[in-house]
Amino acid sequence: MAFRNRSLLAVSAAILALVAACSGSSRQGSGSAGGASGPIVTLSGPGAGTVPRSPAPGTATITETGSSLLFPAFSLWATSYQATYHNVTVRVASTSSGTGIDDASKGSVDIGASDAFLSSGNLVQHPDLLNIPLAISAQQVNYNLPTVPLAKHLRLDGQILAEIYDGTITRWNDGRIKGLNPQISLPNISIVPLHRAESSGDTFLFTSYLSAKTSPTNVQWSKNIGYGTSVAWPAHVGAAPPQQGNSGIEADCASTVGCIAYIGISYLHKATTDGLGYAALANRSGRFLLPTEAAGVAAAVKPFVPDIPANEAISMVNGPAANGYPIVNFEYAIVPGHFANPTTARDVKAFLHWVITTGNAPKYLGGDIMFQPLPAEVAYLADLQIARIK
Amino acid sequence: MTAPAPPAPGPRRAEPSAPARQVRIAPFVPDQRQQATHAAPIRTRRSLTGAGTPGVLRLLLTDLVAACVVWGALSAWTVGRHASAASEVVAASEPLSLAAQQMYQSLSDADVTATTAILVGPPESLTARLRFDGDIANAATDLARLRSASAGSSDSVITADLTAVSTGLPVYSQYVQEALNWDTNGLPLTAGSSMQAASDVMHVTLLPAANAIYVRQSAALTAASAQATGLPWIVVTVLLAVAIGYVLLRSQRWLTRRTHRRINPGLLVATAAVLISTIWLVAVFLSVRSDFNKGLGHGSTPAEELAQSVIAAQQARGDQVLNVISRTGSTSFSADFTAETQKIGPRPGSLLTTARASSTGVGAAEAVAAASAATAWYSVSAQVFQLDNAHQYAAEIARVIGTGPGSSEPGFTTLVAHLRRGIDADQAVFKSNAASGSGAFGGLEIGVIIATLLIATGSAWSLSRRLAEYR
Repeated sequence: MAFRNRSLLAVSAAILALVAACSGSSRQGSGSAGGASGPIVTLSGPGAGTVPRSPAPGTATITETGSSLLFPAFSLWATSYQATYHNVTVRVASTSSGTGIDDASKGSVDIGASDAFLSSGNLVQHPDLLNIPLAISAQQVNYNLPTVPLAKHLRLDGQILAEIYDGTITRWNDGRIKGLNPQISLPNISIVPLHRAESSGDTFLFTSYLSAKTSPTNVQWSKNIGYGTSVAWPAHVGAAPPQQGNSGIEADCASTVGCIAYIGISYLHKATTDGLGYAALANRSGRFLLPTEAAGVAAAVKPFVPDIPANEAISMVNGPAANGYPIVNFEYAIVPGHFANPTTARDVKAFLHWVITTGNAPKYLGGDIMFQPLPAEVAYLADLQIARIK
Repeated sequence: MTAPAPPAPGPRRAEPSAPARQVRIAPFVPDQRQQATHAAPIRTRRSLTGAGTPGVLRLLLTDLVAACVVWGALSAWTVGRHASAASEVVAASEPLSLAAQQMYQSLSDADVTATTAILVGPPESLTARLRFDGDIANAATDLARLRSASAGSSDSVITADLTAVSTGLPVYSQYVQEALNWDTNGLPLTAGSSMQAASDVMHVTLLPAANAIYVRQSAALTAASAQATGLPWIVVTVLLAVAIGYVLLRSQRWLTRRTHRRINPGLLVATAAVLISTIWLVAVFLSVRSDFNKGLGHGSTPAEELAQSVIAAQQARGDQVLNVISRTGSTSFSADFTAETQKIGPRPGSLLTTARASSTGVGAAEAVAAASAATAWYSVSAQVFQLDNAHQYAAEIARVIGTGPGSSEPGFTTLVAHLRRGIDADQAVFKSNAASGSGAFGGLEIGVIIATLLIATGSAWSLSRRLAEYR
């Protein structure tokens, strides 16, 4: 029966794709399918198929776990989706990107949430997995300096951060930091660099920024330590107890005067409430931008859009945009290409399509979450991937 | 005075001087012949005997000629079938299997080369660029050859795999080019992610499809070889020849008794033709079978095992290189590396061990050398994944792609070089034996046709002469 259903679906998809092709749709031309009317969105191109715009009738539960950074957004999406479709319950959990990928691979959840795209290792081991971008995120660098007003933002760049994390700069009033921040009075206290305990997409992003070869220090960082979801932190960084999740590292920083930490943008409100400042980071052009500048985050993504591969795995750290914030990334849903139950597949597809269309509205991504919506071309590629789910 | 001798059994000779009264007694003989002819559809031994000698002769004539024609047709068809299969092995199956194997190796080498170039950093070396371009060009050439050979094929699986490679290869090349562009523009991380997207296409689509094509071409080679040396039809042909020979011998014996003729030249020629052609047929077939079995056992089989070793070694090398880029803490590369190296050997039952056991000469020596090189490579590689687990990425990179002491790259290159030389040697063994086997069929088909004509003509001529004596 399942085979017959799949065959029927494949034939239907092929017919619909043919109709779409005849009506002149193109790979990137039609943008997000969110504006289309009717119960099903038809797509052409690689993995052409259909994307339902509503869940199947009958009670259903969609399960999600993973990135702590995505958790607030998923919570909001789940609540709103359930309010629209009373028959569907979306259960969300904040764990880690690694857990999200692992659980989605094993099939123990329907959706894994991750700040990082799947590695080649994940894909070779689980070629059926898809990483579908849901929104754009940015990473902030926070510090606990009570004497520095929150309204003022320290200027930091990749070189200074690398020198802090490799132990070259150990005090906040170091001349090199003061050189970038002549207007701010910096205290003569030790810097306590914090890092994440678990395999983390945030660590991947932050160490990627430190590995961008913008200075000899960063070249050395790239050569000696490099980037990864986990890295061999220098001894003095490793001495500080690592923290679990964004909430853990934020709480630790809030209680440690002199700390510095990398935290996902969705925790900015919490961080500032707890008295943590956030830095303006230098991009490749040497311009300092804040993670809260929506235009800067959106601008950072723009140069990459034409070259985004079909699986939408791309690193956008320290990109070429002159006015782009340097640490940006897509937040991903990790989902299997095939579900045992076709109804679950339809429900997951409908939910993910809703997230990248309705769920990308400022109402959901604004406020404390501070994500940015996907560009139309990226949402279209995401829909193509959603259409491949069977 | 002696009593008159009883009339000798056998044909009645027309005696011009015989008394007319004796001739009048004869009318019963034609009647007997007529009865035998009318009884033909339901012949039995009794009725044949009842038909008399002419009936038996007529029966022998028709049956021998018919059997001879059947044998000739069957022999020619069998020889043609085996010769065609042997020729197919030499001219088509073996080259296509080689093309499929080369395509896989080119694709895999291209991926490792491009990934290494990204890791080393811009600008990519001219050597790396030329090697990558050469790999892609070679893969495209082999793909075109395979597509051309499968044009019009009803094998939908191989067609789908060939389509997957031909549509995936440009996508892969595009991602690699984007990666190199990002790298040149000072964005090594984006280059790494583009290279990862390229490698995903390679490992999820291209290599599995290329491997499936290789497996099917290899199976086609084995099937063609089996067809060239298969037993059933040749056994039927020989049995029929033996039966015809037996009938010819019995016929001659019977005629000797009936006619007192010791020699029936036509039947003698037919018997000799059956004997010679059967011995020729059996000798050629045994020779071909021996050649092909030798070629398969000592050439094709170890060559395929060594080719699988190259594929596994490239996969393991890819695990090392890709792991340096992905850095996610995933153990999948490490696990896959271990699995691939266990497949290669040289532990008992591994590819290298079985290849070494069945290879001869240079092939065996290269398999032994490859086993030593593999052990040395594993030893150097042992620390690579430990360094990755400890997040010692700089040391890991030095081990994986460095040129200094402790780098695993030279060990991998040495291993693959031995394997490729072993494959070349084993394939030469196969080609030589297959060509020799295929050549042995030369002239046999014509020989069988000539033998058939001789048997049929000899039998017909001899028996019709005897039959004519009764008219």
